[in-house]
Amino acid sequence: MDLETVARVARAARISLTEEEAERYRRDLTDILDYFKVLDEAPDGSSAGVNPVEVADALRDDEPRVCADAYAMLSGMKTYDGYVRGPRLS
Amino acid sequence: MKIGLEIHVQLPTRSKMFCACPTEEAEAPNAHVCPVCLGMPGSRPVLNMRALECGIALAKLLGCEVAETTWFSRKTYFYPDMCKSVQITQYDHPVGTNGSYALDGGKRVRIARIQLEEDPGKTKRVGDQSSLIDYNRSGIPLAEIVTEPDLSSPAEAREFLKRLIGDIRHALGLRDDGERSIRCDCNISVGSERCEVKNVTGLRNVERALAFEAVRQTKVLRSGGKVVRETRRFDEERGVTISVRKKEMEADYGYIDEPDLGIFHIKEMAGRVSVGESPQAMAARLSAEYGMGEKAARQLVSSSVGLAALFEELAEAAGAEAAKSWIGEIGSHWKRAEERGADRAEIVRIVSEAAAGGMNDVEARMALRAHMTGEEPQCAEGARPDLDAVILGYIDSDPGILDEIRKNGRASNRIIGHAVKATGGAFSSSEIVSAVGRIVAERLG
Amino acid sequence: MSPDRLAEINARYHMFSAISPEIPEDAGFLFSAKDNLTSAGMETKCGSRILEGYVPVFDAAAIERMKAAGGALVGKTNMDEFGFGTFSVNSAFGVPLNPFDPERSCGGSSGGSACAAAVLEGHVSLGVSTGGSVSCPASFCGVYGLTPTYGRVSRHGLIDYGNSLDKVGLLSADAPVLGRRLAEISGRDPRDPTSCAQPELSLSGKRISSVAAPEEALRGVSGAVGEAFKASLDRIRESGADVETISMPSLRYAIPAYYVIATCEASTNLARYVGMRYGRQDGDLSLGFDDYFASFRTEYFGDEAKRRILLGTYARMAGFRDRYYAKALRVRAHIIESYKEAFGRFDAVATPTMPFIAPRFSEISAMSPVDSFAADFLTVPPNLAGIPHLSVPCGYSEGMPIGLHVSTDHWREDLLASFAEDWSESFKAERAGVGQ
Repeated sequence: MDLETVARVARAARISLTEEEAERYRRDLTDILDYFKVLDEAPDGSSAGVNPVEVADALRDDEPRVCADAYAMLSGMKTYDGYVRGPRLS
Repeated sequence: MKIGLEIHVQLPTRSKMFCACPTEEAEAPNAHVCPVCLGMPGSRPVLNMRALECGIALAKLLGCEVAETTWFSRKTYFYPDMCKSVQITQYDHPVGTNGSYALDGGKRVRIARIQLEEDPGKTKRVGDQSSLIDYNRSGIPLAEIVTEPDLSSPAEAREFLKRLIGDIRHALGLRDDGERSIRCDCNISVGSERCEVKNVTGLRNVERALAFEAVRQTKVLRSGGKVVRETRRFDEERGVTISVRKKEMEADYGYIDEPDLGIFHIKEMAGRVSVGESPQAMAARLSAEYGMGEKAARQLVSSSVGLAALFEELAEAAGAEAAKSWIGEIGSHWKRAEERGADRAEIVRIVSEAAAGGMNDVEARMALRAHMTGEEPQCAEGARPDLDAVILGYIDSDPGILDEIRKNGRASNRIIGHAVKATGGAFSSSEIVSAVGRIVAERLG
Repeated sequence: MSPDRLAEINARYHMFSAISPEIPEDAGFLFSAKDNLTSAGMETKCGSRILEGYVPVFDAAAIERMKAAGGALVGKTNMDEFGFGTFSVNSAFGVPLNPFDPERSCGGSSGGSACAAAVLEGHVSLGVSTGGSVSCPASFCGVYGLTPTYGRVSRHGLIDYGNSLDKVGLLSADAPVLGRRLAEISGRDPRDPTSCAQPELSLSGKRISSVAAPEEALRGVSGAVGEAFKASLDRIRESGADVETISMPSLRYAIPAYYVIATCEASTNLARYVGMRYGRQDGDLSLGFDDYFASFRTEYFGDEAKRRILLGTYARMAGFRDRYYAKALRVRAHIIESYKEAFGRFDAVATPTMPFIAPRFSEISAMSPVDSFAADFLTVPPNLAGIPHLSVPCGYSEGMPIGLHVSTDHWREDLLASFAEDWSESFKAERAGVGQ
């Protein structure tokens, strides 16, 4: 893995890296991906599911319900006039 | 010119897609929220059955293939309104694929896919310093309908959207809340490269945005330039599209399967989900079955599917000719009648009676208006109907009534009842009783 | 046990990241819970600074059910940040110390839970395993650790690492407690769809009568561990069960498949931590959102969390997704099939739990990320396959415990519960630490 890829991945993950860190993660990830090469030769199962046991058709009825105390949840957040405060949009 | 649309439709559920929070308008920001739609650590989603059924209904309506199973995916992107920084959507196993939809004149627009996904919250700018977010919309269920680039002009795109939305509203029982509720991403290419105009609201704006883009791209090409593949937005006030920095590259979405929901056997469910006849199909059928002009049939259906259904009841009860000659009159009062919840059976009765000669056209017209609008006939006509004529007309249509009255005076109640209905409340009951008494007495001599 | 007494013990071992301010005298039993299970009104941090200040409004299902069974929650146990580790050294809130030797690790990532189970009399702790995080610390601390089938215990309130891998499990020095508590915390929960696939748990007392020992399991384990394992197989034979050596070549693919799936899922789960809504929110809102988010994630995620986020983000990016993520899912299916084949002939598969005894902290700091990943080669396969497994103490070397690992087919926790009870009667485990 090259530094450019590390930088691109870090940007996608919203993590800033110093040059020293980028180099260290580059080395670590390269080692790890080398170690993962064995995957290429691994056989496939007959059907790959999303979960290790079949989880199917778990559905909820369309019944609206107040399920939590919105006030209690918002009390742990930065708010203004009932809105949650967030960073600048651009 | 090639145009393809990605159309977002809000599904008519009462609760959100993955939690039980209500979907109705909230009285305040962040009132309809819970740990799930706020993405609190430790919460997890559970799929609303109705949302899945709506998706299947849309897939059937648009002639899509419904696979054996469907499941959801995670699309990762960072924005303050997306509280998990992950949108639960569909990627490689959507609810429907490979459908098509017919335009006037038989042209078919291919539907690539229909996928279900959750809406994010809503952001509000505060000066240039920070943002404010309302998560009431977070988790509202949406269907995204993606067409192939088969549309060839902005006007055609608008026409397509108008019909499609009409059909969808009918199939899902959606309230007609104006064209503002339709959101589209529009892809358009005049030459070989396409641009995407994101998040355009309303039919008219879709046409405007596309028309602007078509002109812009043509100019670029004519002057020897190249159209750059990019995302643009539409400025409604100025009527122009503007290039925007693309927030995420497609590759960075990093789709993976959503492991918290499992899979859904939709083919099996599709057998149980019924879709009403689409308005397009209904117009074609009315025209063929009742010898109605194609245009008239389409007008009838597009003014109201309910009215078109009444037309069929009338044709059944009173014959196609009577139905055709009365449907215009009925249509002119239809909106009022729906608002008042006027009884359709009575409309059918009046038309049947008129068709059978039980009342003349003037009487029938007045009866319909009175029944459907609830207006006093004098208000409607500026004058009261001729009560004597109504009574005499009934006696003429049923001469045996006089013999019956001779045997039992109470038989005159039939005439009274008819007169009350036929005059639609224009006369008080004592006026009618005395007029009936007077005329019967004259006749019996 | 008073909160003060608990605080004294904690000062010695660092097993708790939070202690309940009040512990009722009349509680039916006392339990602790790993700090990635939400506790209403009590800070829940997952070993991460980014969650400092997060006070959930709801109890995790497992905690709720323990309380309903008469339990009192005494504290939240220390762990590797978000479960990312094998030695519990990746916590922002101190490192739990092994009760057998404070210079050695408790194992991870449920290290605090294993430490509490080893030190506190009659204690049971809720742990969470993604790739071996219950078995590994159970083995290093000389206690019993039971990880049920994926989906057996509701994950409502479990702060996700890898959603298709995470399982709530139990740790205790008292073997019979495991089955009893499992019966109380398991069952379908409409708040977690993945819990709704389970058949009912029936603790029939049925016993394991045949055991397969994959030959691949003894490659790369220390001499002492190999000896203890062989002695354990003899003990199983003496109890009347058949033991046979088999070959499971697919096991070698488990580690890469596991780390790909786990980090892909983890990198999406951890995307939500951006300095808004919960946890640390003390940033400058006038920054653009990308910079604002990055500032929190850069400052408050630890080194291992960043490494796994980067790895997972990479492995699911378009262009790499098919080679890593999609492939790993298919390989998982293959590994599940090879287990099913083994369970067609045997009741259980047995291996050592960890390839070595609890390492010293000085040894751990010399390990590379790949060395750490590789240490999990025995615990990862059953976790990847979602099958239930159990670590029991089976021997000692240099005064440190060694674990035996037993796995059964999906939903067959009943066999593990009876095995744990029988084992505890024939093998006398040593206790460490201060007791009461």
